[in-house]
Amino acid sequence: MKRFDCLKAIAPHFQDELVVTNLGGVRHEWYAARTHPGNYHLQNLGLTSSVGLGLALALPHRKVVVFDGDGSLLLNLGSLATIANQHPGNLIHVVFDNSCYESSRGAPTATARSTDLAAIARGAGFANVIFTQNVKEFEAGFLQALKSSDLHFILAKVEPGAGKVPPAPLDSTENKYSFVRYIEKTEKIEILVSPPSRASEIQEK
Amino acid sequence: MQPKIATEIVNSLKEAGIDFVASLTEANLHELVMLLEKDPGIRHVPVTREEEGVGICAGAYLGGKRPAMVMMNAGFLLSTNALATACIQPGIPILMLIGHSGGFGEENPSHATLGMITEPVLQAIHIVYEKVGRLEDIRPTILEAQTLARSSRRPTAILLNKEALR
Repeated sequence: MKRFDCLKAIAPHFQDELVVTNLGGVRHEWYAARTHPGNYHLQNLGLTSSVGLGLALALPHRKVVVFDGDGSLLLNLGSLATIANQHPGNLIHVVFDNSCYESSRGAPTATARSTDLAAIARGAGFANVIFTQNVKEFEAGFLQALKSSDLHFILAKVEPGAGKVPPAPLDSTENKYSFVRYIEKTEKIEILVSPPSRASEIQEK
Repeated sequence: MQPKIATEIVNSLKEAGIDFVASLTEANLHELVMLLEKDPGIRHVPVTREEEGVGICAGAYLGGKRPAMVMMNAGFLLSTNALATACIQPGIPILMLIGHSGGFGEENPSHATLGMITEPVLQAIHIVYEKVGRLEDIRPTILEAQTLARSSRRPTAILLNKEALR
């Protein structure tokens, strides 16, 4: 199965879930499959799962979905231990494992040989680990996780190959502002500080 | 760290509005980390590696928390890529409390190099910082570091020297 087919299969099921995407092809594919202000397209390799954890802990009543990759997760395996110990019930950690550094011209990752990320997730303390090899299994596993109120890890074993989509216009500063404004609006909270006005003080004098 | 210093740090963080702290402990940070873990006003997340904490704090900020990190300078040095890409580039503030091993008063020779490169690296990635040791300086420095972090939408740092760490 291909990663883009997985994303297209689950996109219609999204409502107000928040999404953190990994650096690489998945951000362009998810932008094409579902453009939404609740998407945070992280422009760092490795911290996708950690940013998802922070978001899930900050907003325990919102579902948070992380679209990670094998190369990225291998940079930050410790995050699995932290996530399992924090155990946010609103987090779904999806890993598209294509066993290669696809965006870096395709050299094999550790999962091409001995390494099993699902087993590592179980060992880290994830109770719900779903292994999928075709789109139907993936969609069913994802829906199960979406309906549940428990932490899930979903490993999607995919073939290399990016979807034919245009590059997403993703400036990280712009994405931060639009995402934060969306959270402020939907959560009715203030995140960005407003500078105090000095003009009124001067007028009073 | 003396218990009164640890208590002053936690109280000052809360006064500054900090409600979320990621940490990686060390002998000199033990009292502080244990206090953070007990405090009901702060969501404390112990991490396995400091750059992971930078990602967690960035995510928490996006969700409306006001995050801080507690770590040693070795962990800060590990986290420079994370700070550059996940915080400085998009404009996400994190207040960092960094234990400065290898600074004045350091007895352990293996910490000397870390100590001497900490400030140049903070300067190289344009993080504004102050060095603090005395009890009476902790509260105002934390409050002002957080004010700047929020207004500048960038990480700020406080280096805790030996006087604070002992």
